[in-house]
Amino acid sequence: MQMPEPVYILAVYDRQYRVFRKLIGSALVSNVANPILFLFAFGFGMGAFIDTMGGVSYLTFVVAGMVGYSAAFAASFETSIGAFTRYFLQKNWDAILSTPVTLAELLLGEVLWAAVKALFSAVCVLIVGWLWGGIPDIFGPLIALPIVFLGSICFACAGLAATSYAKGYEFFAYFFTFWVTPMFVFCGVFFEISRFPDAVQYMTWVFPMTHLVAAIRPLIAGTELDPIAILLHTGYIILFGVAAFAVAHRKLRQRLYD
Amino acid sequence: MEAAAVIKATGLVKKYGELEAVKGIDFAVPPGQCFGLLGPNGAGKSTTMRMIMGLSDVTAGTLEVFGKPAKNMPRNIKAKIGLVPQETNLDPDISVLENLAAFGRYFALSKTVIAERVPKLLEFMQLADKKYAPVNALSGGMKRRLIVARALIGDPEMVILDEPTTGLDPQARVLIWKQLLALKKQGRTLLLTTHYMDEAQRLCDQIVIIDDGRILDQGTPQELIDRHVKGYVFEVQKPCLAKSPAERWDQEDIGDSILYFVHQTADFISDLPEDAVYLHRPANLEDVFLRLTGRKLREN
Repeated sequence: MQMPEPVYILAVYDRQYRVFRKLIGSALVSNVANPILFLFAFGFGMGAFIDTMGGVSYLTFVVAGMVGYSAAFAASFETSIGAFTRYFLQKNWDAILSTPVTLAELLLGEVLWAAVKALFSAVCVLIVGWLWGGIPDIFGPLIALPIVFLGSICFACAGLAATSYAKGYEFFAYFFTFWVTPMFVFCGVFFEISRFPDAVQYMTWVFPMTHLVAAIRPLIAGTELDPIAILLHTGYIILFGVAAFAVAHRKLRQRLYD
Repeated sequence: MEAAAVIKATGLVKKYGELEAVKGIDFAVPPGQCFGLLGPNGAGKSTTMRMIMGLSDVTAGTLEVFGKPAKNMPRNIKAKIGLVPQETNLDPDISVLENLAAFGRYFALSKTVIAERVPKLLEFMQLADKKYAPVNALSGGMKRRLIVARALIGDPEMVILDEPTTGLDPQARVLIWKQLLALKKQGRTLLLTTHYMDEAQRLCDQIVIIDDGRILDQGTPQELIDRHVKGYVFEVQKPCLAKSPAERWDQEDIGDSILYFVHQTADFISDLPEDAVYLHRPANLEDVFLRLTGRKLREN
């Protein structure tokens, strides 16, 4: 096993970045328009019925959740359907593995790019949320961004683990139904998980998304901080990501080499 | 003394579960030569190439590439190899130019080196006026040429070409042949598989013919021709065949006619009846290939 070297990881990252740059228009539109739609719908629609949640205005509550979710969705999509297309359909990975780039470097490059793209998404939501008046203080969110980035790495690794087992695009129906959608509805994005029965609450803590939202919401919404809790949540996110990466690397080693 | 082999396989075996795709083959690729690996579909060529690239683990025997085991190939060895895969796996999301530049980065080349090499390679494969074209806008021949150019970005000592001209028009094939010979002149080692025997005969210094995971024979194209099909082939239509007893001539029944492989044409022609209908031509590598591997279809 050769140690991964940054120059090769960045070569993979760079290719992704260049493709993205060509599509910057549509990327900006979707990353800015999407949160606007959500904030509009939930901020006005639900906000009319709910004054406060978790001790802050519903808009503030939702902005914090949406920052996490937009990152989670972007990272998950990039390393699942996006990476699978490069691997399975376009055979980009075959081409790359015929060069000095190793499998670990290829996968790390994929993850790094997906996380940067996810962070870009999250920043767009933050800016929209801030302009909308949903962010009381600008310093907390800046501290939250590194945690969002770690979360994005974790989601990217999880997406890659799904890709490593996918035999066709149909497989991602399971990934989105049982992984991405629950992150959206059960992990505290739109309401506090304390509303669920205990059993469901325990379940939701399995998802790194719940930990991410729990870690960044106090920072973004400006509520009381518990640094130990934030560290523990971040620790869980890191461990989950490392485990998912190990699964993905192991399985893809079996599939791409014989 | 002979220079050290670039690739050396000894008793090389590859098994997929119960299936034995490569059944113990020995060969050595000398530096600076074009080495041909020929065989019907399913003979074990691609498996052997995957093992050489370090993409497939060796089951038994040894396989050394630039003096190092192919398994866990060190990065500096991998950087000496350029691969032209059978399948077109160019990056469809970026342009011709960007495909080459991206590959340069996978070889950890500096910006200056990439900027210097890319135009030369585009020129070499006659793609300069297509440099901004998206890959999907290229014809099949241009795509293959781009794949060859891409394989050269790392300035490889060895280029592995897996059926580089399959599906190309004669013009594109001629260009690729010409440039492959130019690469050989620069001192690079070429490892080639192809189903076109004229291509192998034209390009290869050494040839190995494999079938069913085993080596049937190896040598220079001329040695193989001399050994298996003599110098000339007469395809004589039944029923007016050579008059001498069957033992006199090396022959093969191919249905409606009989192939005779002979050293001297005059002797043989005098042995044919007046009304014989025949075709007569110099023997070539295709005759060798068909004699060694048989005429049965392989896809079944």
